[in-house]
This record gives sequence, C-alpha cells and structure tokens, in this order.
Amino acid sequence: MNQVAVTGLGVVSPHGDDAQAMFAALMRAESTVQPIFPELPKPAAAALAPFDESRWFTKLQLAGVDRVSQLAVAAADLAMRDAGLGPDAPSDIDPERIGVFAGCGMGGAAALETAYRGGRVPPLTIPAFMPNAPASHVAMRHRVQGPVLTYSVACASSAVAIAEAAKAIQRGDVDLAIAGGSEALIVPGVVLAWQAMQTLASFKPGEAATAIRPFASDRSGFCLGEGAAFLVLESTERARRRGARSYARLSGWGISSDATHLTKPDAPGQARALRAALRQADLQPRDVGYCNAHGTATRIGDVVEHDALAAVWGSELDRLRVSSTKALHGHLLGAAGALEAVITVLALHRRQLPPNAHADAVDPACQLNLVRAADDSAASGVDAAISNSFAFGGTNAVLLFSRG
Amino acid sequence: MSSLKELQDLVHEKFGIEASALDPGASMREKGFDSLALVEFLFVIEDRFGISMSDEDSNIDTLAQLSAVVDKLIAAKAA
Repeated sequence: MNQVAVTGLGVVSPHGDDAQAMFAALMRAESTVQPIFPELPKPAAAALAPFDESRWFTKLQLAGVDRVSQLAVAAADLAMRDAGLGPDAPSDIDPERIGVFAGCGMGGAAALETAYRGGRVPPLTIPAFMPNAPASHVAMRHRVQGPVLTYSVACASSAVAIAEAAKAIQRGDVDLAIAGGSEALIVPGVVLAWQAMQTLASFKPGEAATAIRPFASDRSGFCLGEGAAFLVLESTERARRRGARSYARLSGWGISSDATHLTKPDAPGQARALRAALRQADLQPRDVGYCNAHGTATRIGDVVEHDALAAVWGSELDRLRVSSTKALHGHLLGAAGALEAVITVLALHRRQLPPNAHADAVDPACQLNLVRAADDSAASGVDAAISNSFAFGGTNAVLLFSRG
Repeated sequence: MSSLKELQDLVHEKFGIEASALDPGASMREKGFDSLALVEFLFVIEDRFGISMSDEDSNIDTLAQLSAVVDKLIAAKAA
C-alpha cells in the first residue's frame, strides 16, 4: 500500500490566491467577513474571494462556465504549479492515471439564480449549474483521463473527496490526484435560504467582521464563504523519485455517518470518524497536536464537536490545540474541507497554529485548548494534525496529516 | 443593410475578439468557438435583434454565414 504525500497546494480563498499569504493573514487573525446585499430585509454578511477570472480564461472560454467552476480551475491550476506540474513542466504521467476528486455542495448557484430572476433563461444554464462541472473543467484543463469524480456531501464534500483521492493513491489506482473542492453560492436567493435555516450569525451594524465566534459563549452561527482549494496527492515513493517537495503525508482519514438526524450533529458519529482516522494513521490521540475544527459557531454544533473530541481524547484533551478558522474565512460549505485541509497542512509544514478568533469568552460547554492569536507556544511539537468536516446529512469526515 | 458589422461588434463585446482577428469567411470553430460558445452567441444575437434562430443555425461556422441568416430573419420580421 502506498503512503500518500501532499505535494501541491492551491487556493482561491477569501484571503486571496496565495496559500502562504492566506496562512499569514490567518495568523494575524484578519477576518474577511463583510456585509453583503444591503437590499435584503435582514442584514447578511459573507466572505467573498477576490478573483480575476481573466487570469485563467479568455472571454470565449467563459461561455457556460459558472464562478464555481472558474474558482476550481484556478485553485487546481495553482496546486499543480505548486507541485511543479504546471503547463510548461515536462510530464511523464499517463493521463489515464491522473484523477480529479472534487467536492461541491451546490454547483453553479449564480447560473441558477440568473435563470430564476426573470428574462430569458440562458441556454447554458444547465452545464453551468451542474455540480460536477467544476471537476470536469479541471479535468479538461489538465487533460485528466482517469476518474473525474464529484462528491456532494454538504459541508464534508471536499474532505470526502480528498479521502477518496487518498484511497485511490494508496491502492495505486491513480498516480496523481487533484483533490479538493469549490463553492460559490453567495447570491441573494441562497443567502435568503440560509437565513431561513437559522444557522447564520447575527451581528450589529459595523461588526460583521467578528460575527463568527466559534466556541464562544456569545456565538450565533456562521457566515457563508466562497472559494476553492485543491491539493495534489501522489505516493511518497513517486514524490521522492521526482524530487517533489512534500508538505505532509495524508496518513489517515475517517468517514462515518450519524444515521440519526438530517441536520442535527451527533457526537458518537463524529467520534467514530475521529477514531477511524487515528486507527488508519496508527496514532494515539496524544500524538495529534492540532485540530482544525469544523467549528461552525452554531449553538449546538460546537458543543457536539467538543463532546466528540472529548470522547476520543479523554484525559489528553487538553494537549490538543484547537481552532476553527471559519471565524476568519467563513464557511465554504462544499469547499470548506479542502480549504481547511490546506490550512492544516500549512500549520504542520510551517509549525504555526492559526488562531481561533473572536472567542473572548469561551462557552463552558465547549472548553477546548483553543489557539489564541499570536500564540505559538505549542506549535513546535506538533507532528500530526486533523481537520474535521461534519455535514448536514450526517456524514462526518476527518483528515489526519503527519509531518514528513 | 448587412448585420455583419454589428455581429463583429457583438463578438468583440461578448468574447473579446477583435473584428480583425476573425475573418468573416473563417471557421469560428477553428477560432475557438466550441458548440457551447456558439449556442450562447446565438442567444445573444436573438436578444440583440429580436429574432428567433433555429437549432440548425448552431451548425453555422462563419460570421458571413451567420450574418446572412440574421439578415434574412430581420427582413422576414420587417415584412
């Protein structure tokens, strides 16, 4: 069985499209959440990804390509370049032995919104909207002729995609996997739907930037974010052979289902995913130094995640440093797992832990050893880290990365 | 009057291609218009001229052919 190396990272995030610069901004606890759509009856805030599509597409190439696919193509391209596999690099890889594994929760929301908003419906609404379009556009850009698969598992979509890609590398089904996800659904109709779901954070005028407060006593939910993130995965052997830089190994992954409730999270279900990831990596809880939490800052979600971590870590819970970076980049839903996987990999690689911002008073029901801004105290000893993604629908995905 | 100039302007506006870069007699497909881009272009043309093009018109391959069809439809509309 192959071991799985992470050799490329690419993001188009609310903090920009330079993964290292994004991480540095997170370390400075810079929030990208801002007010949006002032015309809506209820105040709304979101984290938008600054993006210039002309860097990746001619106007002609943009026909029928929704923003969700544009972001995916850009992030995947950046990941491939980062892995030394850009368009000009010599490549010995058989296209049939490359795979794209992409998560996407909704698909092309803007295309659908345009179709609903009166006027004639553009003829390419369907190919623009279909949730597997991002994966297909990535495949066409890189001439990927192996498996090109889309995983739509709500907030766990791209974490599941990365786990499935890792399995394909591990088994030797593919030599190279472009794995991650994209989401771009910050359009009025979708924001209204999320507001109706009662999961979005409330905030006072002028305070949108600090609206998301994971694990805090005064938390009130999340804000939507948009973006894309991709990782290049290959076997450690292949990476070594071609002299590629390896950021980390993806040494474990756990996927479980609550099978209890469509939207209410379940600690035993989450704990099963956490244990599965540890088991696969052959690690004990005390070996894992950092957790990039799902941490959506909903009243129930943060408590349940605490309970799941407590159930698995037991008396070692305090050794585990925890932060939810959603406070700063919002909730990217289908792209959240991939973006947070990139952040977790960089935390390990750079030996820096991004803070859990805006939780001045921690809820006693979710007492975790949260990383505070400008706190580098425990980062040096962190050799393994996890990223949690827990979805509506009850699917839980945990990715476990190890140094070296 | 021929619609060619207006179609060239539309190609520029929508796809960023200068009139000088797309000879009216040249294959649009060879210039990078795939079937999806052509479908989207026909939709824009319909909106601009207030005409309705048939599915078969998506087989058109040059701007000159396209212009001829558009001219005919405009004339039919005016009649």
